[in-house]
Amino acid sequence: MKIVPLEAYLILSVLLFGLGVFGMIVRRNLVAILMSTELALNAVNIAFVGADSHLGLLDGQIFALFIIALAAVEAAVGLGIIVAIFRLRKVESSDELTDMGG
Amino acid sequence: MMQWIAFLFFASMTLLSALGVVFLSNIIYVILSLLSTLVMVAGIFFVAGAELVGALQLLIYAVAIAVFYVLVLTAVPWEKALKKDSHYRIEGVLTFPILLAFYLEIILVFLLGVSVSPKGQIREFIQNLGNTQVVGSILFSKYFFAFELVSLVLLVGMIGAVIVGRKEDKTYEDSTS
Repeated sequence: MKIVPLEAYLILSVLLFGLGVFGMIVRRNLVAILMSTELALNAVNIAFVGADSHLGLLDGQIFALFIIALAAVEAAVGLGIIVAIFRLRKVESSDELTDMGG
Repeated sequence: MMQWIAFLFFASMTLLSALGVVFLSNIIYVILSLLSTLVMVAGIFFVAGAELVGALQLLIYAVAIAVFYVLVLTAVPWEKALKKDSHYRIEGVLTFPILLAFYLEIILVFLLGVSVSPKGQIREFIQNLGNTQVVGSILFSKYFFAFELVSLVLLVGMIGAVIVGRKEDKTYEDSTS
Protein backbone atom coordinates (compact mmCIF):
# COMPACT_ATOMS: atom_id res chain seq x y z
CA MET A 1 0.00 0.00 0.00
CA LYS A 2 2.49 2.58 1.17
CA ILE A 3 5.37 1.72 -1.12
CA VAL A 4 6.12 5.32 -1.98
CA PRO A 5 7.11 7.07 1.26
CA LEU A 6 5.81 10.44 2.33
CA GLU A 7 9.27 11.97 1.98
CA ALA A 8 9.30 11.37 -1.78
CA TYR A 9 6.06 13.31 -2.22
CA LEU A 10 7.32 16.11 -0.01
CA ILE A 11 10.68 16.38 -1.78
CA LEU A 12 8.93 16.53 -5.16
CA SER A 13 6.52 19.13 -3.79
CA VAL A 14 9.34 21.28 -2.46
CA LEU A 15 11.26 21.13 -5.73
CA LEU A 16 8.19 22.01 -7.78
CA PHE A 17 7.20 24.83 -5.45
CA GLY A 18 10.74 26.22 -5.60
CA LEU A 19 10.65 26.15 -9.37
CA GLY A 20 7.32 27.96 -9.33
CA VAL A 21 8.55 30.71 -7.04
CA PHE A 22 11.75 31.01 -9.05
CA GLY A 23 9.70 31.39 -12.21
CA MET A 24 7.49 34.05 -10.62
CA ILE A 25 10.61 36.07 -9.81
CA VAL A 26 12.63 35.51 -12.97
CA ARG A 27 10.07 35.70 -15.75
CA ARG A 28 9.19 39.03 -17.35
CA ASN A 29 6.22 37.89 -19.39
CA LEU A 30 2.98 38.31 -17.41
CA VAL A 31 1.42 35.10 -18.76
CA ALA A 32 4.55 33.14 -17.83
CA ILE A 33 4.35 34.54 -14.30
CA LEU A 34 0.79 33.21 -13.98
CA MET A 35 1.94 29.83 -15.29
CA SER A 36 4.65 29.69 -12.63
CA THR A 37 1.90 30.31 -10.07
CA GLU A 38 0.14 27.24 -11.41
CA LEU A 39 3.33 25.24 -10.78
CA ALA A 40 3.34 26.34 -7.14
CA LEU A 41 -0.35 25.43 -6.71
CA ASN A 42 0.31 22.00 -8.17
CA ALA A 43 3.17 21.50 -5.74
CA VAL A 44 0.81 22.15 -2.83
CA ASN A 45 -1.67 19.67 -4.30
CA ILE A 46 1.03 17.01 -4.49
CA ALA A 47 1.88 17.58 -0.84
CA PHE A 48 -1.81 17.26 0.16
CA VAL A 49 -2.43 14.08 -1.80
CA GLY A 50 0.87 12.49 -0.76
CA ALA A 51 0.14 13.11 2.91
CA ASP A 52 -3.32 11.66 2.34
CA SER A 53 -2.04 8.41 0.92
CA HIS A 54 0.44 8.18 3.80
CA LEU A 55 -2.10 8.81 6.55
CA GLY A 56 -5.02 6.99 4.95
CA LEU A 57 -7.24 10.05 5.18
CA LEU A 58 -9.29 11.79 2.50
CA ASP A 59 -9.44 15.38 3.73
CA GLY A 60 -6.37 16.43 1.80
CA GLN A 61 -7.90 15.29 -1.46
CA ILE A 62 -10.89 17.55 -0.77
CA PHE A 63 -8.57 20.47 -0.17
CA ALA A 64 -6.81 19.60 -3.42
CA LEU A 65 -10.18 19.83 -5.19
CA PHE A 66 -10.77 23.25 -3.63
CA ILE A 67 -7.32 24.36 -4.77
CA ILE A 68 -8.10 23.24 -8.33
CA ALA A 69 -11.34 25.27 -8.29
CA LEU A 70 -9.58 28.33 -6.90
CA ALA A 71 -6.83 27.98 -9.50
CA ALA A 72 -9.51 28.19 -12.16
CA VAL A 73 -10.78 31.44 -10.61
CA GLU A 74 -7.25 32.76 -10.35
CA ALA A 75 -6.52 31.97 -13.98
CA ALA A 76 -9.75 33.63 -15.15
CA VAL A 77 -9.27 36.84 -13.18
CA GLY A 78 -5.50 37.03 -13.76
CA LEU A 79 -5.77 36.50 -17.48
CA GLY A 80 -8.61 39.04 -17.64
CA ILE A 81 -6.35 41.55 -15.93
CA ILE A 82 -3.54 40.76 -18.38
CA VAL A 83 -5.82 41.27 -21.37
CA ALA A 84 -7.05 44.55 -19.86
CA ILE A 85 -3.47 45.71 -19.24
CA PHE A 86 -2.52 44.92 -22.80
CA ARG A 87 -5.58 46.63 -24.24
CA LEU A 88 -5.18 49.78 -22.17
CA ARG A 89 -1.39 50.08 -22.01
CA LYS A 90 -0.08 47.93 -24.91
CA VAL A 91 2.57 46.28 -22.70
CA GLU A 92 2.93 42.63 -21.82
CA SER A 93 6.03 42.66 -19.63
CA SER A 94 6.17 43.13 -15.90
CA ASP A 95 9.12 45.55 -16.00
CA GLU A 96 7.17 48.02 -18.13
CA LEU A 97 4.44 48.35 -15.51
CA THR A 98 6.04 50.94 -13.26
CA ASP A 99 3.06 53.01 -12.18
CA MET A 100 3.09 51.72 -8.62
CA GLY A 101 6.89 51.54 -8.37
CA GLY A 102 8.39 53.84 -5.74
CA MET B 1 8.22 -1.85 -6.85
CA MET B 2 6.08 -1.03 -9.84
CA GLN B 3 4.66 1.87 -7.87
CA TRP B 4 8.15 3.23 -7.27
CA ILE B 5 9.01 3.05 -10.96
CA ALA B 6 5.82 4.87 -11.91
CA PHE B 7 6.32 7.48 -9.21
CA LEU B 8 9.91 8.15 -10.23
CA PHE B 9 8.92 8.41 -13.88
CA PHE B 10 6.11 10.86 -13.16
CA ALA B 11 8.22 12.87 -10.72
CA SER B 12 11.18 13.23 -13.07
CA MET B 13 8.91 14.19 -15.97
CA THR B 14 7.14 16.73 -13.76
CA LEU B 15 10.40 18.35 -12.78
CA LEU B 16 11.74 18.34 -16.34
CA SER B 17 8.57 19.99 -17.66
CA ALA B 18 8.62 22.50 -14.80
CA LEU B 19 12.18 23.41 -15.76
CA GLY B 20 10.85 23.98 -19.25
CA VAL B 21 8.12 26.27 -17.90
CA VAL B 22 10.65 28.35 -16.01
CA PHE B 23 13.49 28.53 -18.51
CA LEU B 24 12.14 28.34 -22.07
CA SER B 25 11.84 31.66 -23.87
CA ASN B 26 9.22 30.95 -26.53
CA ILE B 27 5.83 31.27 -24.85
CA ILE B 28 4.30 28.47 -26.94
CA TYR B 29 6.91 26.01 -25.66
CA VAL B 30 6.26 27.30 -22.15
CA ILE B 31 2.56 26.54 -22.41
CA LEU B 32 3.25 23.08 -23.85
CA SER B 33 5.57 22.21 -21.01
CA LEU B 34 3.01 23.53 -18.51
CA LEU B 35 0.50 21.12 -20.07
CA SER B 36 3.01 18.29 -19.73
CA THR B 37 3.55 19.20 -16.07
CA LEU B 38 -0.18 19.14 -15.34
CA VAL B 39 -0.65 15.74 -16.99
CA MET B 40 2.30 14.31 -15.07
CA VAL B 41 0.99 15.67 -11.76
CA ALA B 42 -2.27 13.86 -12.54
CA GLY B 43 -0.17 10.70 -12.90
CA ILE B 44 1.28 11.28 -9.44
CA PHE B 45 -2.24 11.61 -8.06
CA PHE B 46 -3.14 8.27 -9.65
CA VAL B 47 -0.08 6.67 -8.06
CA ALA B 48 -1.14 8.05 -4.67
CA GLY B 49 -4.58 6.48 -5.08
CA ALA B 50 -6.51 9.73 -5.49
CA GLU B 51 -8.43 8.81 -8.61
CA LEU B 52 -11.04 11.56 -8.36
CA VAL B 53 -8.49 14.33 -7.88
CA GLY B 54 -6.39 12.94 -10.72
CA ALA B 55 -9.35 12.82 -13.08
CA LEU B 56 -10.40 16.34 -12.15
CA GLN B 57 -6.82 17.48 -12.57
CA LEU B 58 -6.90 16.15 -16.13
CA LEU B 59 -10.35 17.63 -16.81
CA ILE B 60 -10.10 21.05 -15.20
CA TYR B 61 -6.40 21.84 -15.19
CA ALA B 62 -5.08 20.13 -18.29
CA VAL B 63 -8.09 21.04 -20.43
CA ALA B 64 -9.94 24.09 -19.15
CA ILE B 65 -7.14 26.16 -17.65
CA ALA B 66 -4.66 25.30 -20.41
CA VAL B 67 -7.26 26.42 -22.97
CA PHE B 68 -7.64 29.68 -21.00
CA TYR B 69 -3.94 30.35 -21.42
CA VAL B 70 -3.91 29.50 -25.11
CA LEU B 71 -6.91 31.78 -25.65
CA VAL B 72 -5.19 34.69 -23.93
CA LEU B 73 -2.04 34.10 -25.97
CA THR B 74 -4.12 34.48 -29.11
CA ALA B 75 -5.69 37.69 -27.75
CA VAL B 76 -2.36 39.22 -26.72
CA PRO B 77 0.00 39.49 -29.68
CA TRP B 78 3.49 39.23 -28.28
CA GLU B 79 6.41 40.83 -30.04
CA LYS B 80 7.87 37.74 -31.67
CA ALA B 81 4.60 36.93 -33.40
CA LEU B 82 4.45 40.43 -34.77
CA LYS B 83 8.01 40.28 -36.10
CA LYS B 84 7.64 36.88 -37.74
CA ASP B 85 5.98 37.27 -41.11
CA SER B 86 5.49 33.60 -41.92
CA HIS B 87 2.26 31.94 -40.95
CA TYR B 88 3.92 29.23 -38.87
CA ARG B 89 4.01 26.56 -41.57
CA ILE B 90 7.23 25.01 -40.35
CA GLU B 91 6.08 25.26 -36.77
CA GLY B 92 2.85 23.52 -37.66
CA VAL B 93 4.76 20.60 -39.15
CA LEU B 94 7.14 20.52 -36.20
CA THR B 95 4.21 20.40 -33.79
CA PHE B 96 3.18 16.96 -34.95
CA PRO B 97 5.78 14.89 -33.06
CA ILE B 98 5.13 17.01 -29.96
CA LEU B 99 1.42 16.27 -30.30
CA LEU B 100 2.21 12.58 -30.67
CA ALA B 101 4.36 12.76 -27.57
CA PHE B 102 1.45 14.31 -25.67
CA TYR B 103 -0.91 11.54 -26.69
CA LEU B 104 1.68 9.01 -25.57
CA GLU B 105 1.97 10.88 -22.29
CA ILE B 106 -1.75 10.70 -21.64
CA ILE B 107 -1.88 7.02 -22.56
CA LEU B 108 1.07 6.32 -20.26
CA VAL B 109 -0.57 8.22 -17.42
CA PHE B 110 -3.74 6.20 -17.79
CA LEU B 111 -2.10 2.80 -18.12
CA LEU B 112 0.53 3.26 -15.43
CA GLY B 113 -1.83 5.00 -13.04
CA VAL B 114 -4.61 2.46 -13.36
CA SER B 115 -2.30 -0.54 -13.10
CA VAL B 116 -0.35 0.87 -10.17
CA SER B 117 -3.04 2.58 -8.12
CA PRO B 118 -3.42 0.97 -4.68
CA LYS B 119 -7.18 0.68 -5.01
CA GLY B 120 -6.29 -1.30 -8.09
CA GLN B 121 -8.36 -2.48 -10.98
CA ILE B 122 -10.60 -0.14 -12.88
CA ARG B 123 -13.37 -2.75 -12.89
CA GLU B 124 -13.61 -2.64 -9.15
CA PHE B 125 -13.47 1.14 -9.33
CA ILE B 126 -16.52 1.23 -11.54
CA GLN B 127 -18.40 -1.41 -9.54
CA ASN B 128 -18.37 0.16 -6.11
CA LEU B 129 -17.05 3.66 -6.94
CA GLY B 130 -14.35 3.39 -4.27
CA ASN B 131 -12.47 6.66 -4.00
CA THR B 132 -15.02 8.87 -5.69
CA GLN B 133 -17.87 7.72 -3.48
CA VAL B 134 -15.92 8.23 -0.28
CA VAL B 135 -14.63 11.65 -1.32
CA GLY B 136 -18.15 12.68 -2.34
CA SER B 137 -19.70 11.59 0.92
CA ILE B 138 -17.13 13.55 2.95
CA LEU B 139 -17.35 16.53 0.60
CA PHE B 140 -21.11 16.81 1.00
CA SER B 141 -21.25 16.28 4.74
CA LYS B 142 -18.16 17.51 6.57
CA TYR B 143 -17.04 20.11 4.05
CA PHE B 144 -20.40 21.16 2.64
CA PHE B 145 -20.10 24.78 3.80
CA ALA B 146 -16.63 25.10 2.26
CA PHE B 147 -17.98 23.56 -0.93
CA GLU B 148 -20.72 26.19 -1.15
CA LEU B 149 -18.17 28.88 -0.34
CA VAL B 150 -15.99 27.73 -3.24
CA SER B 151 -18.98 27.94 -5.57
CA LEU B 152 -19.58 31.50 -4.33
CA VAL B 153 -15.92 32.35 -4.99
CA LEU B 154 -16.28 30.94 -8.50
CA LEU B 155 -19.31 33.16 -9.09
CA VAL B 156 -17.52 36.26 -7.79
CA GLY B 157 -14.47 35.42 -9.89
CA MET B 158 -16.64 35.07 -12.99
CA ILE B 159 -18.28 38.46 -12.38
CA GLY B 160 -14.87 40.02 -11.71
CA ALA B 161 -13.39 38.59 -14.90
CA VAL B 162 -16.30 39.95 -16.93
CA ILE B 163 -15.98 43.41 -15.35
CA VAL B 164 -12.20 43.54 -15.78
CA GLY B 165 -12.29 42.28 -19.34
CA ARG B 166 -15.13 44.37 -20.71
CA LYS B 167 -14.60 47.21 -23.13
CA GLU B 168 -14.00 50.52 -21.42
CA ASP B 169 -15.51 53.79 -22.60
CA LYS B 170 -12.27 55.68 -22.09
CA THR B 171 -8.76 54.31 -21.87
CA TYR B 172 -6.00 55.02 -19.40
CA GLU B 173 -4.32 57.52 -21.72
CA ASP B 174 -7.57 59.47 -22.07
CA SER B 175 -7.98 59.84 -18.32
CA THR B 176 -4.36 60.89 -17.70
CA SER B 177 -3.98 63.37 -20.55
